[in-house]
Amino acid sequence: MILEIITAGTYDSWNNFKMNIKITHKWLLDYLDTDATPDQVREYLSLCGPSIESVEKIGSDYVFDIEVISNRIDYASVLGIAQEAVAILPMFGKKAKFKENPLEKYNFKKYYLTHDRDIDNKKLNIEIKNKFLCPRFTAVIIDNVKIGTSPKFITERLIACGIKSINNVVDISNYLMLAFGQPVHVFDYDQIKGETMIMRESKKGEKIVTLDEKEVTLPGGDIVMEDGSGRLIDLCGIMGGLNSAITEKTKSVVLFVQTYDKVQIRKTTMSTGVRTVASTFFEKGLDPERVEPTLVFGVELLEKYAGGKVASKIYDIYPKPSKEKLLMMSYRLFDKKIGVEIPRKKINEILINLGFTVGEDSKQGLTLVEGQTLHITVPSFRTNDINIPEDIIEEVARVYGYQNIPSVLQPIVYVDQPKEMEDIFVFQNRIKIFLKHLGLNEVINYSMVSKDRLIDFGLDPKDHLRLSNTLSKDIEYLRTNLTVSLLKNIKENSGKKDVLRLFEIAKVYFPKKGDLPDEIYKVGIAVNTDYSDLKGIIEGIYKELNINTLPIPEIVEKDGVYMIELDFQSLIDNSKLVPTYKPIHPFAVIKLDKTFKIGPGHTYEVISQLAEKSKLLQKIEVVTLFENKLTLRFYYSSPDRNITEEEAKQELNGV
Amino acid sequence: MVDVGQITKLAEKEIKRSVSLDVLSKLEIKYLGRNGEINKLLSAIKNIPDEQKKTYGQRVNKLKASMYRYIETRKKELQNKKSGVFFDKTLPGKTYPKGSLHIVSFAIEEITKVFEKIGFIRVSYPEVDWEYGAFESLNMPVNHPARDDVETSFIDTPAHPKLGKMVLTPHTSNGQNREMKRVGKPPIRMINISKCYRPNWDATHTPMFHQFEGLCVDKDISIVNLKGTLDYFAEKYFGVGTKTRLRPHHFQFTEPSFEVDISCNNCGGTGIIKANRCKVCKSGWLELGGTGMVHPNVLREGGIDPSASSGWAFGFGIERVIMMKYGLDDIRNYYSGDIRFLEQF
Repeated sequence: MILEIITAGTYDSWNNFKMNIKITHKWLLDYLDTDATPDQVREYLSLCGPSIESVEKIGSDYVFDIEVISNRIDYASVLGIAQEAVAILPMFGKKAKFKENPLEKYNFKKYYLTHDRDIDNKKLNIEIKNKFLCPRFTAVIIDNVKIGTSPKFITERLIACGIKSINNVVDISNYLMLAFGQPVHVFDYDQIKGETMIMRESKKGEKIVTLDEKEVTLPGGDIVMEDGSGRLIDLCGIMGGLNSAITEKTKSVVLFVQTYDKVQIRKTTMSTGVRTVASTFFEKGLDPERVEPTLVFGVELLEKYAGGKVASKIYDIYPKPSKEKLLMMSYRLFDKKIGVEIPRKKINEILINLGFTVGEDSKQGLTLVEGQTLHITVPSFRTNDINIPEDIIEEVARVYGYQNIPSVLQPIVYVDQPKEMEDIFVFQNRIKIFLKHLGLNEVINYSMVSKDRLIDFGLDPKDHLRLSNTLSKDIEYLRTNLTVSLLKNIKENSGKKDVLRLFEIAKVYFPKKGDLPDEIYKVGIAVNTDYSDLKGIIEGIYKELNINTLPIPEIVEKDGVYMIELDFQSLIDNSKLVPTYKPIHPFAVIKLDKTFKIGPGHTYEVISQLAEKSKLLQKIEVVTLFENKLTLRFYYSSPDRNITEEEAKQELNGV
Repeated sequence: MVDVGQITKLAEKEIKRSVSLDVLSKLEIKYLGRNGEINKLLSAIKNIPDEQKKTYGQRVNKLKASMYRYIETRKKELQNKKSGVFFDKTLPGKTYPKGSLHIVSFAIEEITKVFEKIGFIRVSYPEVDWEYGAFESLNMPVNHPARDDVETSFIDTPAHPKLGKMVLTPHTSNGQNREMKRVGKPPIRMINISKCYRPNWDATHTPMFHQFEGLCVDKDISIVNLKGTLDYFAEKYFGVGTKTRLRPHHFQFTEPSFEVDISCNNCGGTGIIKANRCKVCKSGWLELGGTGMVHPNVLREGGIDPSASSGWAFGFGIERVIMMKYGLDDIRNYYSGDIRFLEQF
C-alpha cells in the first residue's frame, strides 16, 4: 500500500481540488503504439484532455506529472492515459492505437483457459454484511510466494512515479494501481484467522492499527474487515491492518480487489484524517468492471515475479453488475452548443476512440429524425461522469480541439443596470478618488474581526454573526462597524509613518432573525491627526457630493485616533450631481470681520445660526482662532441692489 | 534701413552679460527709455514702405516684449546674486497631498470598464448567503463531494428550513442564480465582483479574497462566444497580443468546463527568456481561472429553459489577475493594512 499522499488541495478561481499522478512514457508504450514524442504527448493531451504539468527525463524513461480532475478518475492510470491518447493524438496527425487493449486481454474467460476454475487448495469464508458498501468484491489466494525484490522495470517505474519499492508483492500491488487505476490490497493469508473475512461497518470507537503502525480510532460506520478471531484486519479502501501485512516470512497471499461506496470512503478519510492514494481513488467512485482485468493481471504478475501459484478459485461477489448506459442526442446540438459545425464522421470517430459505442439509427427514437440522431453507449469506466448530452458535447469539443474553434464576441445587447446598483459603484468611486486626492490611504480589511476588538470597542459580540469554523480568533465575528478595523490599522502602523489618515468603504453585516443579515455599505475614516482634520474631510466629502442638509455624525476619539463612520446610502440619497445655481449679480459684497469670545453655550454653531437669520448673509469664514477668541468674516450682499456698509453692520449687530 | 533682428541679438547679449543692477538699469534706458532703441525703431516706421509697415510693427513689438522679459529675468538673477540667495530650479515644487487607492480597487475599476464596453452590467449580491445560493442553485446538491472540496466558512446560526446553512460565499457564482431570477428572462450580461471567503490562510491564500464572475445567457450562446469574450478581455486587460487557450476541466456548474490560460507577457508566450526558462510562467502560459458553458441544471434552477437559451460563465480571482499583470505576488500584504504597502498605489 502506498502511504505517501500525492494529493494536495489548492483553489484558484472556482473550486478546484488538485490530485496528481505520475506515469512513465515507456509504461504508456506497453499499451500504446504511437509515434508521438513525450513532449508531443504532453502538449497535445494537455490541450485536449488530461493536463500534463511536466515531463521529466529519468534514466532512459520520461515521467509525466498529470493533473487528475475530480470527475475523471478514470484516466488516473497508464491505461486511462492510453485511452485518451488514442482519441487525441490522431487529431494532431500522430499515430495512436492500443497494442492490445488490456481490458480485452485480461478477463476471467481467458484466465480460465490456463487456470483451474475449481481449485480449492486453500479457501476463504467470506461474508459481506452490507452489500451496498462494496459493489464488487473479489479475492484470490496465491500460494508458494517468495518475498524478494521486484524485477528492475517495476522498481524503476515505481520510483520514477514517486513510489517506494518495498518488495515484489507490495510493489506489484502498487504497480497494478498505477497501471489500471484500481487500488488493490494484499493480505498475508496465514494471518487471517479462521480463513474468514467478514466485511462490515465499524462500531463507534473500534480501533485498528494500520500498516503505518498508527492506531486509528474509528467513528463508526466505516468499512472494515474482520477475521475469524474478531480482529480488524483492514480499514477497507484506505489502509490495511498491520496484523495481516506482508512480511519477509509471508508464504501465501490474498490478492484483494474491490470497489467501495465512495461516500463512505470519503466520510472515513475526512473523519479519521487517514488519507492514502488508494482512498483518493476510491472516494471518487471506481468502475466495478475494472476489478476483473486488475485481478487477472495481478495473478499474472504474482505468478511471474513472486513465484506464486493460484491456490483458490476466484471469489467474485458482484450482486448488481453494472448496466450499459445509453444516451440519445441530435447531431445538431453539437453545432449549436459548440458554435461551429463538426463533421459527423469526426464526431463518431472521436467518441469511438474514447471507448464509446455509437450508432446513428434507432427504432425507438420515434420523435427524432432518422439519421440525425446519435445513439451512444457509454463505456463502463465513464458512467460516473457522462450523464447528459452536454457531457458528450464536451468530449467531442475537447478532442476536436478548443484551439480549432473560432472566437467571436456574442452580439452586444442592452441590459438595464438597476439604478441602486449603479449608484453603489459610481459613488464608491467618487468618494474613493476624492479621499485619495485629499491624501488619505484606502485600506481593505477582513470583514471579520476578533471578539476582543469588539469588546474593546464597546460592542456586544452577541450582536454580530459568528463563524462556526473560523481559522483564527482574529477573524471570528463579522463586523458591524468599519472603524473597529481602522483603529487597529492605525495602531499597527504606528512607528511606520507619523501621519496616518485611512479610509475604507465596505459592507458591514447586521444580523436578522431567521434571515440573511443586512449588508450595508459604510464609509469609515480614521486619522491620528486631530478633530479638525477629520471634520474637514467629512465637510469636504459633503461639498464634493453637494450635500447640504446631512448632519455630520459623531466623531469618536480613542487613544488619539479620530474616527467616523458614514452611512453610504445616506450620502447617495442626499447628494446632488450639480448644486443649486445662484444667479451671479453685479452688486457689491460687504465683508465684515468680527471677533467673538467663544465658550460653552456660545459656540461657532450658535453664532452662525444667529448670523444666518439675516437674509443678506452669503457666507461665513473663520479668519483666526486664538485661544478662545474667534474672528469670523461675514459676507453680505443682495441680489437686486447695492447694500451699504451700514446696512451690513446692522445685520451683524444682532449677532 | 534698421535691422530689427540684429538689435534683438545685441540686446539679449548685452543684458545677459550685464554684471550689476546699475549696468542693467543703463541698458534698460538704452533700449526701453524714451529715447531708447525701441522707440527709435518705432518712430522709424514712417520710413517703411506701406506694405511692410504691419510686419515691421509686429516685429518691433515682439522685440519690446522680449526685452522686458530679458531684463526682468536678469534683474532677479542679479538680485539673488547680490543677496547671496541661490535660486535652485532643480528643487521639487510645492508638495500636494497624494493618497492612495487599494490595488484591488484599481483592478475592479479596470475590469468593470472592460466589460461595460461590451454591454455587461456590474451587480451587487450578498456576501452572506444560504447554502442554496452557494451550492444547490449551482448544481451542487447536498452530499455532493464537490461541496467538501469547497472549504466553506459557516455562520453560527440556525439553518434555514429550505435553504440550508448560512455561509460566507466561497465564490461569486452565487450571483448567477440571483441574476437569472432578477432579470427573469435572457438576455443576461452580468459581471459580479465581490468579496469571497474560504477558511484558508497561508503564504498564497487569504481567508478573504475577491472574484469577478461573468455570466452571459442568451439564445444561441456557444463556446465560440465564450472564446470571443475571453480573447477580448485578455487583450484589453493584459495588453494587445495576449492570447488565451482553453483546456478541459471540471466544474459542477458548467458543462463543458475549461480552464483558461493566457500567454505570458514576460516571455512573449515562448516560456524562454535569453535561453533561460521564464520565471513567471509555465512554458509560455499562465493559468487565469475556471470557465465553461452554463450547466442546464443551473439555467433550470434560475428559471431559464435550457432548450431555448444557453450561456457561458467564468469566475476569476482579482488578486490573481493583479499578480499576473503587476507581479504583486505578496498576497498577505493585501489585507494586512500595512501603510508601506498601501501608500504605494
